[in-house]
Amino acid sequence: MTGKTASLKRQQKMSAFFVNLTLIFICLLFMIPIFGIFITSFRQSEKIFNSGWWTFFPHKVWQETGEIKLDKDVDLNGIISITLEDGTKVEGDYTTLKNGVFLPNGTKVQYIGAKRTRTIKLSEKRWLGFETDLTLENYKNVLTGKAISYKGEDGSILTRNGTDLSKSFINSFAVTIPSTIIPILIAAFAAYGFAWLNFRGRKAMFTMVVALLVVPLQIAIVPVLQDFSKVNLNGTFLGIWLAHTGFGLPLAIYLLFNYISELPRDILESAFIDGATNFTIFTQLILPLSVPAIASFAIFQFLWVWNDYLVALVVLGGGNNEVVTQTLANMVGTKGQDWHLLTAGAFVSMVIPMVVFFSLQRYFVRGMMAGSVKG
Amino acid sequence: MKKFLSLLLVAAMLLGVTAAVYAQDKSYLERAYEGEFKGTTVIFDGPFIDNDQVLFEESIKEFEEKTGIDIQYIGNKDFESTIQMRAEGGNAPDIADFPQPGLMANLAAGGYLLDVRDAISEDWLKENYSQSWLDLAMAKDKDGNDIMAGIWARNNAKSQVYYRPAVWAEAGYEVPTTWDEMMALSKQMVEDGETPWCIGIESGGATGWPATDWIEDIMLRTVSPETYDKWTKGELKFDSPEVRNAIQILSDLWFADGFVYGGRKAIASTNFGESVKPLFYDTDGCMMHRMGNFITAYFPEGLTPGVDYDVFYLPPIDPQFGNPYLGAGDVYGMFVGHDRDEVKAVLDFFSHGESLKFWLGQGGAMFPGKDADPSWYANPTDAKIAGWVANASTFRFDGSDLMPAAVGAGTFWKGMTNLVTGSDIDSVIKEIDAGWPAK
Repeated sequence: MTGKTASLKRQQKMSAFFVNLTLIFICLLFMIPIFGIFITSFRQSEKIFNSGWWTFFPHKVWQETGEIKLDKDVDLNGIISITLEDGTKVEGDYTTLKNGVFLPNGTKVQYIGAKRTRTIKLSEKRWLGFETDLTLENYKNVLTGKAISYKGEDGSILTRNGTDLSKSFINSFAVTIPSTIIPILIAAFAAYGFAWLNFRGRKAMFTMVVALLVVPLQIAIVPVLQDFSKVNLNGTFLGIWLAHTGFGLPLAIYLLFNYISELPRDILESAFIDGATNFTIFTQLILPLSVPAIASFAIFQFLWVWNDYLVALVVLGGGNNEVVTQTLANMVGTKGQDWHLLTAGAFVSMVIPMVVFFSLQRYFVRGMMAGSVKG
Repeated sequence: MKKFLSLLLVAAMLLGVTAAVYAQDKSYLERAYEGEFKGTTVIFDGPFIDNDQVLFEESIKEFEEKTGIDIQYIGNKDFESTIQMRAEGGNAPDIADFPQPGLMANLAAGGYLLDVRDAISEDWLKENYSQSWLDLAMAKDKDGNDIMAGIWARNNAKSQVYYRPAVWAEAGYEVPTTWDEMMALSKQMVEDGETPWCIGIESGGATGWPATDWIEDIMLRTVSPETYDKWTKGELKFDSPEVRNAIQILSDLWFADGFVYGGRKAIASTNFGESVKPLFYDTDGCMMHRMGNFITAYFPEGLTPGVDYDVFYLPPIDPQFGNPYLGAGDVYGMFVGHDRDEVKAVLDFFSHGESLKFWLGQGGAMFPGKDADPSWYANPTDAKIAGWVANASTFRFDGSDLMPAAVGAGTFWKGMTNLVTGSDIDSVIKEIDAGWPAK
């Protein structure tokens, strides 16, 4: 009996070990690129293009230890022979020397440049410490706008700051907050209705709502735009609120329905017997009890709207209404050259979703479980 | 009383007619300069952002101050992929900058663009633009009628090679005047331990486009302009001796041992903007870089054009085709339902060199019209290139921009990238031809 428990325990320990190992592996897999972006965001723009972010860590590099200039009478098309300071002789034609000759003591002898330079360099592999010239300039440029310089009429160099993130942050909030609250309000009412009220066509309507979950928003966007332009909603915040509300509602209703329909029938019935109306039940019982589900949907919706690029681009346009994702996309430059700004901007724009996520996180797991068990 | 009223009516009508006649006498632009459209706003959208956006905004500042029209430039990186959707949804800007005539033609065919001759007098257009530019602006509208769907407001030129005269002088190299001389010079450079060319075709989702530019340049040098036009229209297949020959000529240069910085394998993975950097290395860099004039924006800072770097004309291959020039540009179109007078005035403004004067002074842009003064170009290499373009025996538009997007921005790019990474010519040609939409 005791032996069996012990082996069971060992088995459990083993499986826990493997689960953890897998989790750590997956975490690492996801973290490495993010970490790379993080380091890149602090590096200088020229360095980003010259070497990978991992060169930030100590590593061995070839460092020059000496230089030899060949005499003018050395025939560069034949065999070139050099004698080093310690008496070692190195021989080879131009191509061999160009590829580098490695001596047993670790020295590399290499021809530098074209033949006409007549220069041979000696180098050794030495350790190079952490990259020290990291900079906050990228973040500064992202927050205050990149300085773009051009020549004035009198030939002087003028600079002007490009777009910065501050205005886009305000726009993003103006889009995201109502686009999160409105669908929650409507969906909570709808979910209560679908779960606890008896009316004709309830099942059919609910099926329709669930079916809408599979409609990709990309195919709906042109008809939506056409309707918006008829009522002059294009380019307005009201328009994008409605769009996000519409696209978010099916999931919101479905998620909240699953949670609300699971609430114990007894509570609702006793409330009914005490003379509560549907509205009282909804506001006094259902809403407070569904906070976990509402919070988890709020996180979903907030993240989705915050990260949305397409709907904002098409409905809001740009210019004064530009949201963070658009500014970020533009930050990389017309020809995609400003990686240093893109990486820094990505981290800056990540801050808000992180805050929202962590402040609502304690509800999140419970909320996710909430709707998932029963369909 | 009745009589008085009808008199009043007649008077009002007369007044209206004279106003209309008066208005027709003057162009929209002239009326704008008189301040008639003060306080109005024109929404302008296009694909250029950041640096270019600042230069654009500075270029139109004076016009805005003089006329009181506020030109609001939006600008987004995904302009090309969203403009069609926005036009269909009724959310189009007043004026848009199309970097490809193919995109403009698509929108015109959808019935979203107006004939610019409604806004600008045809005489002026004929006076200021050469016929080839006007032809390039023509498109079919929804009913199949020919309309001039846009005006060319900015262009670039691609048939030139950047090099460093000081380095060349030190090494004793001379600017080649024929393709064979250029190949011989490249060989000489390799023998001397130099790397002749810097080539990079990576450009994110558009990877491969610099290679298509090379092919177009070679095509212009080995076939007649008429054949080139047939090729861009799809009447000449890629699977033809002409195109095969062009790809072969490219392969002979690109894939020869030691010809390209980093070797063949580096071509597809090097960003086009980065690929030029080794040109300016002190040692172990490269000696030549063939690219459109916009590449100077990627040069290291603090260089003096004409001294630290210069350009030579990409030499002809077959002398019978003269000195052709390859280029591209931005065409501005006006949307249906947005034909307000101030919009027309702004469009008219963009057909004048004046609208780009500031940008020309900064370098990296050219104006296709004739009224741009050569002295406006700050960069002597740009002025040199503008001169070559003006005197070119033929000027042809970037072929991949003229082909349907499925080829020009699809299989052509991909096929060339595959060629570089090791596919054989036959399979590449098949792949590109497969992209043509079925007729």
